Amino acid sequence: MKRIADWWFASAPAERLAALRLLIGGYALLYIAMRLPEFVAVARYGRAQFQPVGVVRVLDAPLPPSAALVIGIITCVLLAGFVAGFKYRVTAPLAAAALLWTITYRNCWGQVFHTENLLVLHVIALALAPAADAWAIDKPRAPAASGYGWPIKLMAALTAATYVLAGVAKLRIAGVDWLDGELLRNQIAVDNLRKALLGDPVAPLAHPFLDHPGPLVVFSVMTLVIELGAPLALAHRRIAYAWALTAWGFHVGVILMMNIWFPYPLLGLAFLPLVPADRIIKVVIRAAQGIRRRLTR
Amino acid sequence: MRVYAAVVSVAMLAATLYPLTLDPREDGFPLSTYPMFAWKRPTKQTYRYALGETAAGQRRTLRPILVGTREVLQAIRVFDRAMSGGRPALTQLCESIAARVAGHEDFGDVVAIRIVTGTHDSVEYLARDVIGREIEHVRCVVKR
Repeated sequence: MKRIADWWFASAPAERLAALRLLIGGYALLYIAMRLPEFVAVARYGRAQFQPVGVVRVLDAPLPPSAALVIGIITCVLLAGFVAGFKYRVTAPLAAAALLWTITYRNCWGQVFHTENLLVLHVIALALAPAADAWAIDKPRAPAASGYGWPIKLMAALTAATYVLAGVAKLRIAGVDWLDGELLRNQIAVDNLRKALLGDPVAPLAHPFLDHPGPLVVFSVMTLVIELGAPLALAHRRIAYAWALTAWGFHVGVILMMNIWFPYPLLGLAFLPLVPADRIIKVVIRAAQGIRRRLTR
Repeated sequence: MRVYAAVVSVAMLAATLYPLTLDPREDGFPLSTYPMFAWKRPTKQTYRYALGETAAGQRRTLRPILVGTREVLQAIRVFDRAMSGGRPALTQLCESIAARVAGHEDFGDVVAIRIVTGTHDSVEYLARDVIGREIEHVRCVVKR
């Protein structure tokens, strides 16, 4: 037990956790701001289309579309406070709750999407952690007693858990048949058929495998290895890098064969807790300082 | 403080893994079983969707945004729900699509909207352009 605790609470710089707040919170803010028009458009579908899930189950009927718009704007404002580290102990939980509500509400119109689950879980984890003890508007506080390593470990474990769940679902629903290549071929064919009928672009690499599903066995096996092997990424930094790169490649493959975009992992944000994210911010700060120096000369 | 950190960590991980105890078909948000690519599906599928029709009677596929969303899956759910609402719901949906088509320059040649149920073999449709059977439920005119 002590070894697990020592590993979980291993120290990490406050900047590393703050970098996750800046990058993941910044992404959440941009994501909501950019998608708000569509979120509001979907909220106009009306009661007949409303099928509440998650926290939105407290509602029997949909809110007026204007309420969805107002809540979306409030979410953006709170996320801006979250990113800036402004009165973090208050704004962060509120921002996480608002993000949870806004994205859950988007999923209440008959179709539950799987592109934003990890984003919401990561923002909740950050909101419950001392993630504004560096690079924040708030005045610096005394260093957190439990350190800054545990929230990063938690976020990495949440990333791994979501991949394991996806792998387990395949085995629970389809069993070893999932590995025969034909099941994946059919998934690719059916998904691209929907796109063709509804007028979305068909994936560029969908066609080569339609008549020849054999090679897809390799992709099927790799998918399960990546998903079920995700916890190994917690064991060692090098394994984490290798796993993150492979999982990222898997998402690129999903685009090429199914034209389904998972922006959170594709932009590398899902894997940020596995890498020293503070270095990214430090590079940005150095670059900004360099530009400033050149401009003031 | 370590107690707080331990409670938050265990609670969040337990909640995330909780769907393992559920039927994998019971999906939710943000706690999910992630069943999206797990199903064994036949290549032959039936969907409800809208088609455009030109003055010459040619079939034109539309876009999800004309149904009020950017997501294909969301658009399909909209058609399914409208179908269960009967002809009035389908007519209303058809007219809302026609209104959006009327304002979209890429679909200037579309004069009518048809909401259909189509059954296609996905491999035949994609690899050999074989269009399956399409049954029309509602048709409405694009008013410009």
